[in-house]
Amino acid sequence: MKTRFFVLVLVTLLSFGLASPSWGQDEWLKKAELGSYAPASVDEKQLYEKAKGEKEVAIYSYSSRVHQFAKTFEAQYPGIKVKGFDMDSAEIVTKVLAEQKAKNYVADVIFLKDPATAQNELLAKGHILTYVPPDLKTVIPERFQKPFLTHHVSLDALVYNTEVNKKSPVASLWDLTRPEWKSKVLFPDPLKMPEFVEFLSTVVQRAEEMEKEYQRVFGKPFQLSKDSKNAGYEWILRLLKNDAVISGSTNDVSNAVGQPGQQKPPVGITAFSRLRDKEKNPKLAFDVAYDLGPVTGVATGVVVAVVNQARHFNAAKLLVRWMMGDEKGERGYKPYFVLGNIPTRTDMAAPKGSKPLKDLNVWAADPKYVWDHGQEVRDFWLSNLK
Amino acid sequence: MQMAASFKVWANRFRFRISRPHVVMGILLLVLLVALVIIPFLRMVHDTAVWQEADTRISRAAKPGEWTAFHYLRVFSGRLSAVIFYRPLLHSLETSLAISFLAMALGGLLAWLVVRTDMPFRRAVAVFAVIPYVLPSYTLALAWLDFFKNERVGGAAGIYQYLFGAPTPDWLAYGFLPIVITLSLHYYPFTYLLLSGALVSIDAHMEECGEVLGASRFTILRRITFPIVLPALLSAFILTFSRALGTFGTPYFLGAPVRYFTLSTTIYSNIVNRTPAVAYISALVLILISMFILYANQRLIGSKSFVTIAGKGFRHRLTPLGKFRYPAFFLAFGLILLGVFIPLFLLAWQTLMLYPNDYSLKNLTLHFWVGKSDPALAEGESGILRNLQVLGAAWNSLELSVLVALVTGLTGIFIGYVAVKGRKTWLAAMVEQGSFLPYLIPSIAFGAIYLSLFTQPVGPIPSLYGSFFLLVLVCMAKNLPFSARSGISSMLQVAGELEESAVVAGASWAKRFWKIILPLTLTGSISGFILVFIATMRELSLIILLVTPTTRTLTTMTFRYVEQGYAQFADAIIVLIVLIVVAGEFIARRLGKREIA
Repeated sequence: MKTRFFVLVLVTLLSFGLASPSWGQDEWLKKAELGSYAPASVDEKQLYEKAKGEKEVAIYSYSSRVHQFAKTFEAQYPGIKVKGFDMDSAEIVTKVLAEQKAKNYVADVIFLKDPATAQNELLAKGHILTYVPPDLKTVIPERFQKPFLTHHVSLDALVYNTEVNKKSPVASLWDLTRPEWKSKVLFPDPLKMPEFVEFLSTVVQRAEEMEKEYQRVFGKPFQLSKDSKNAGYEWILRLLKNDAVISGSTNDVSNAVGQPGQQKPPVGITAFSRLRDKEKNPKLAFDVAYDLGPVTGVATGVVVAVVNQARHFNAAKLLVRWMMGDEKGERGYKPYFVLGNIPTRTDMAAPKGSKPLKDLNVWAADPKYVWDHGQEVRDFWLSNLK
Repeated sequence: MQMAASFKVWANRFRFRISRPHVVMGILLLVLLVALVIIPFLRMVHDTAVWQEADTRISRAAKPGEWTAFHYLRVFSGRLSAVIFYRPLLHSLETSLAISFLAMALGGLLAWLVVRTDMPFRRAVAVFAVIPYVLPSYTLALAWLDFFKNERVGGAAGIYQYLFGAPTPDWLAYGFLPIVITLSLHYYPFTYLLLSGALVSIDAHMEECGEVLGASRFTILRRITFPIVLPALLSAFILTFSRALGTFGTPYFLGAPVRYFTLSTTIYSNIVNRTPAVAYISALVLILISMFILYANQRLIGSKSFVTIAGKGFRHRLTPLGKFRYPAFFLAFGLILLGVFIPLFLLAWQTLMLYPNDYSLKNLTLHFWVGKSDPALAEGESGILRNLQVLGAAWNSLELSVLVALVTGLTGIFIGYVAVKGRKTWLAAMVEQGSFLPYLIPSIAFGAIYLSLFTQPVGPIPSLYGSFFLLVLVCMAKNLPFSARSGISSMLQVAGELEESAVVAGASWAKRFWKIILPLTLTGSISGFILVFIATMRELSLIILLVTPTTRTLTTMTFRYVEQGYAQFADAIIVLIVLIVVAGEFIARRLGKREIA
């Protein structure tokens, strides 16, 4: 009997031990100086002193480069360890929701794509808080500070093989639906990567422009299939009917397109910033099709925020500040200071070789539209898969 | 007066009954089973019919907490039902059936060769034949990818392309065929073990009778041998089928690149894509299929049984293979080579290659084992023996496996005690039957059930999501059937008089348990301990939905690395798992001086 009793006691103790102390909402905000209690200025040294007492900070990141800026952070601020966890954006949302419900606050900072979901499921419900380092308030445009801090804007665009082609073999998004590109267009799986739901939703949102482009390219009036509601959906439908190859990651797309020695290389939609792969592997030969009609690509925001009830809030703030880097694109921003990523700091120069945003023809994804129509677009995509 | 007296007698009797240790313990165990299996199951069923938080994204009509048929409509009759349900269901059924038959054929053949023929090196073959069962189920899948991967999914192609200069056709690299082959090679030991047990107990006289009466070899096989081993074959079928149905790793690694989804992989992707209720419905369907198969099996076997061990003399006769002796051996040897040694060699080799498709000697490296972080390789991840995340996961895995083995093994002994001491009481029967329930629930579905229950507080228990304790609970519950069985069988070997004499001598129950029952059943239960240790060490399907970054295990790290396309890291971790499992088995065997059954 003693054993049973012992086990029971153990279970009870364990279950109590699991619930970490949590403060009242307002109390915590005051203590953490977040939300309406955010101070007008922050002294970095003081913040570091306070953060040192917290010893560590945990971040859930959509990007594996978290380990790179974690390392430089630890070197800059000795005594604070960064626990960086790299996972998909959707997983980050799931985990944060579960942790909030369980009052088991593991993550202090989250760094993810899919602003629509982050806004409606996390921010609106008070599960995360926006922290804009005070010294950056003047150099980041308002729209990148509200509703939350946008770390950088990333672009998704079409890439083609430069070994075989002098210039892009396709001039329009609609060209991808032509028979000669059957099975030769790569598209990253939107069910895995939310930024491609944003891409598709934006195409649907811009249906009018897609329709005009169709008439320009094919020189005949646009006709809708019975399954699709507008020219945006029609493009998705025809892309899938043309046996688009669905890739597991943006890396897979750029590798397949840029692989040297191909007779008839494919083209593909991928992250603009994949251009950085060419530095690591000079054999890869691909470039972005800048002059694609009706648009070069879709711009989506990457969000960084502090988690509600975070236990290491000082270290969290310090980390957010580190990630935003300096005006040369150094410090914590360095891993993201690459072609195709647009810094939100206006005082930061664009990476070498990039075109200024105003010269690029891009559509910015609209988080509200993505939230309202994203699921419909996903379901449409799913139901038309082979 | 009389009524009061008889009530007193009755009350006394009741108090006596209830105060006997096995009754108290039986009640506690029953409560435990209800808490670990029944309540989570009901909770999941409830969640399929209620709006979830995450549904607010899918439907503006969603009111979290209120009843709805939305999920059922979406799964069974919506526009998406073919993609998210019917096609995966078909894939689950076709792969599980094909795996069961192929595994039964391989295992059956091997059992016959080892038990009933004069094939050379039978003892050695017998030892190696069970090894695939010890490896993580997706070891072969990863080895398969190293060999057959083509460029469809990007990244480097496998050895096949290097050897033959042409890309592997999709049907050979991914989907149905590789899933069936790799999992059959993993699951055949079930059939092998069960069938060799049944074959050993067949008296050769029975077959000789047939021979005397002029029956052909084939007729003897069909009319005598086959019916006798049928119950064993059927159990092997169920075991394999339900395992194949609930496994997640292999169908995901080999199916996802060509969008060949099964129910188990759609459960995972629905959880990840935040449509949990849809995942729970798929899990429910998996459970129903498992239950149906078990029910059908009981109907089939129920009417057929044979007494094969009788009082008369018993002898074996080995079938002479003649000139086929060595070919038979090479066949058996080849099977073991394909199922164990070649895959492990491929994986180990892969971990030593700097660039995946460069097979020259100068490409060999220890970077993925002990290398320092290099930003040019795998986004700067360091070798696994230097990588704090991997080491942390290794520690988690070890801690989890040892803890689960101990707790489950002990619970198994308790179950054995209750079942044996309380023979023929309804309580003992309930505990015994109840402990088999987790067996009916496929692993991934079991994980889904726990996810649905424990992401929120349950009564006095706070939400366990994200805790290590939750992993212990789920692994313990899922492994209960095995340890209960070994607990019961070892308790049956302990004569009742041993404990009774201690009762007479006035020893308390706790003392009796620690001094008599535990020591006597421990040797018998040790194989159960090892089995649970191994099962937990290589578990992926069960815990993939429940791990969080702080509770990662080696298996879930492997999964992560495969997803990111870092084959070398993934393979290195698998090799590490295999080493730990082998070491664990060795140590446990030295401790218990007994082999795994």
